[in-house]
Amino acid sequence: MPSLNRAQLRELTRIVGDRGVRSDAGARSAYESDGFMLERATPEVVVLPRTTEEAAAAVRILRDAGLVIVPRGAGTGLSGGARPIAGGAILGTARMRDVLEVNETDRYARVQAGVVNVHLTSACASAGLFYAPDPSSQTACTIGGNVGNNSGGPHGFRYGSTTRHVLGLTLVDSEGEITRIGGPFPDPRFGYDLLGPLVGSEGMLGLVTEVTVRLLPQPRCVETLLCLFEDLDACCDAVSEMIARRLEPSAIEILDRLTIEAVEASVLRAGYPSNAEAVLLIEVDGGADEVASTSEDLIAVATEFGAFDSRRTTDPVERKKLWTGRKGAFGAMGRIAPDLYVADVVAPRTRLREIVRVAAAACEERGLRLANVFHAGDGNLHPNISYDRRNADEVRRVLEAGEIIMQACVDAGGSLTGEHGVGVEKQKEMCMFFNDEDLDAMKALKSAFDPVGFWNPGKMIPVRGCREIHTKPLGDSVGVTP
Amino acid sequence: MSTEGHRPHPSTKTSLIDHARSLDCIHCGLCLTTCPTYQLTGSETSSPRGRIHLMRAVAEDRLEPDAGFAEEMDFCLVCRHCESVCPAGVEFGAMMEFTRSSLREQQPPGPLARFARWVGFRRILPSRFGLKAAVLGLQLGQTLGLIRLAAPLLGLRGSVMRHLPKVPPRSERRPLPAVTPAQGEKRDRVLVLEGCVMPELFGRVNHAVARTLSATGLDVLSVPKHVCCGALHAHNGEMKDAEELARETIRRFDAVDPSARIVVDSAGCGAHMREYGRLLANDPEYAARAAAFGARVVDYSEELSLPAARARLRPLLRAGHGIEGPITWDDPCHLCHGQGVVDQPRQLLDLVPGLERREMTAANSCCGSAGIYSVLRPKDSLDVLAPKLEHLAKSGAKTLVTANPGCHQQWLVGIGREGMDVPVLHLAEVLDRAISAGE
Repeated sequence: MPSLNRAQLRELTRIVGDRGVRSDAGARSAYESDGFMLERATPEVVVLPRTTEEAAAAVRILRDAGLVIVPRGAGTGLSGGARPIAGGAILGTARMRDVLEVNETDRYARVQAGVVNVHLTSACASAGLFYAPDPSSQTACTIGGNVGNNSGGPHGFRYGSTTRHVLGLTLVDSEGEITRIGGPFPDPRFGYDLLGPLVGSEGMLGLVTEVTVRLLPQPRCVETLLCLFEDLDACCDAVSEMIARRLEPSAIEILDRLTIEAVEASVLRAGYPSNAEAVLLIEVDGGADEVASTSEDLIAVATEFGAFDSRRTTDPVERKKLWTGRKGAFGAMGRIAPDLYVADVVAPRTRLREIVRVAAAACEERGLRLANVFHAGDGNLHPNISYDRRNADEVRRVLEAGEIIMQACVDAGGSLTGEHGVGVEKQKEMCMFFNDEDLDAMKALKSAFDPVGFWNPGKMIPVRGCREIHTKPLGDSVGVTP
Repeated sequence: MSTEGHRPHPSTKTSLIDHARSLDCIHCGLCLTTCPTYQLTGSETSSPRGRIHLMRAVAEDRLEPDAGFAEEMDFCLVCRHCESVCPAGVEFGAMMEFTRSSLREQQPPGPLARFARWVGFRRILPSRFGLKAAVLGLQLGQTLGLIRLAAPLLGLRGSVMRHLPKVPPRSERRPLPAVTPAQGEKRDRVLVLEGCVMPELFGRVNHAVARTLSATGLDVLSVPKHVCCGALHAHNGEMKDAEELARETIRRFDAVDPSARIVVDSAGCGAHMREYGRLLANDPEYAARAAAFGARVVDYSEELSLPAARARLRPLLRAGHGIEGPITWDDPCHLCHGQGVVDQPRQLLDLVPGLERREMTAANSCCGSAGIYSVLRPKDSLDVLAPKLEHLAKSGAKTLVTANPGCHQQWLVGIGREGMDVPVLHLAEVLDRAISAGE
């Protein structure tokens, strides 16, 4: 396996400083996985540049040393995208955390890729602006990571995922060249829109070091609703009906009982009721009149579908609590078992209830604990399956259940991933959706940016052909480590 | 879910770690940005999640507990900010104490460090005589100008020492009387912890605490001959000493009054004393008693926020206290993260007439003091403080208020080195001055 010689290591240290290079076993081991714990692999070296120029210089050294590069933000991803397949270097943006510019008049911000999502929002709050994508890990995840995975979040329902908010990027390519794409004033666009393929490229086309994003004016009025149901099915159907009636909240989330219990037992307890089988957490924003009337209409639908109680609040402190609880749901599941598999699939909203049942049955048959929390408005489900990675058989059953859920979504006309990306987790399942010709087209795009396979190899695009994968038994392509 | 007690069983490296507790971490990463050392380095290895990962890897025999591992454990300030945001409820502070303690046992430090620790933990902290001797040494160094002379030779430590506040005059260092009687109608009685360093360097704070509590109708009882609660020992992995000091603390306090609430004005001590139950869980003689003792511990700001206390306090507070506003409150980590006390000090400060309070950005993040961390790792300690000093300057506050001797000292040093003109006060000093203004 290629590695750095002493002179190269010294040169890297000279460029990024003492704290920017970690090559000891312990330090590297902390980078062997992200939020996806089913597989791990340790990098040869971890490099943490502070600027685009440092990153470019580091790329040239790593390339000369023959190391492949895995870009990484805060390592909160859930598909294994930000950790190596075997060896190579992690090129992390965690020290690139300056907000370079907030332009209130033209409503954009230019940030280094390692800026934490929530820090961008606080940096523009005093100007009455906000950055819309709000993944649940927003207190830790980086804007660069959001770009890599085209992240969404609860408010993606109204505002769309990251791709709708990126105006420009700075990219370091495999030659160590710096390229600026797009910018704050993109309209009218001309030439090919290269931002399209770069957002959601999971670090496979280069390292994004700076991002220019659109900022939106804060809504004048925001109201959060909590509708309580005795039945998860009814809760799903209510969502479908709300959207059918042309109601437009900014977020619609469902949390089931097990999720509620885990959150309420944690420091992030939000005051979710313990007597509900499922709750709908909805946010409505806009002008005061619009918010009030939409809220009333939404509650009417919920009640019609069997909600036994509905609460509403405009108090910012209370609203924040309700959302903090929702966003801590993944971590809170740590109270139930040491590991959690967060599935991320999309189904047409009208078929939510059906998919939830498939997930429940798949887990029940395999003796697994399932908690549901999902961006119902987008039909983006996160069935959360608890497990213990030390139990190899349980891991196998989790993977089976995950695959059944994915297949059901694809069959229903949905998608493999809503916002967590493909990474290593769903490589094989790409073949449920795409055929070999589709994948060849993706490979051609990748080669156009990265002819030698230098950036994040072994992710997203299956290494073997689909025909071969389809003949293998379930769970086989994912290596299980204790 | 977690194993009880602290004392690891030495011998194998898997026993270095509280493995069961490490399983609580689900690797979500929400802790990252709260961590001062992750903020400083951007390295996930130096984050709570990373450290738990290292601990688990050692316990599962996938990683050697080498010098790099020990260094990463020592780099942590144990501010416990991560615990405040951890949805899985990982008890990080307890895990770190366990790991440090077993590292000390299995990989003892070199002879010089061992001697320094012996002097500090055995001869100074738990002994009034030792403390007085140490403070006398500091005082001599200050008055004779020795520190000024020696500072250039001591590097960063020297620069820190030069900015240490003057040892206060003897009048401020006298112990509290056995009883400070309630003013007006007596409501109740409470015990107070005078502490180890507090009486020597911040005796005026202890006196302000006694005066303000008694002004609200409390008999304030001090505990003669008690010196140290053992918090610094526990944070630095000296668990046997910590357990012994906990037992002694319980005996001495209970001898004065076995049921009164115990009011603590030093956040680090309060957070530790609240957890005596866990510390002594494996001691059959003391387990129940320690848990009951821990339940009686309250922070000074909590005591005064009880409705009956507030009702008595409010009319006593007057403008004309001479404190320059605006003021800002800096949360000691072991108050807000260790004890969950966030609103009470702010609300008490807001009761003081004629005093504007401003929020400082990141008031709940660590100042870098972290017990004796500032002595052991002066560079890291000052690096952690640096952004806080910027936030202080930006807040425009003219006075900084806190409630922990370590933080108090750290701020004085940092503000002194920056040449800023911002006095640092303990919450009790603010309230005491506002009461005296009315007398």
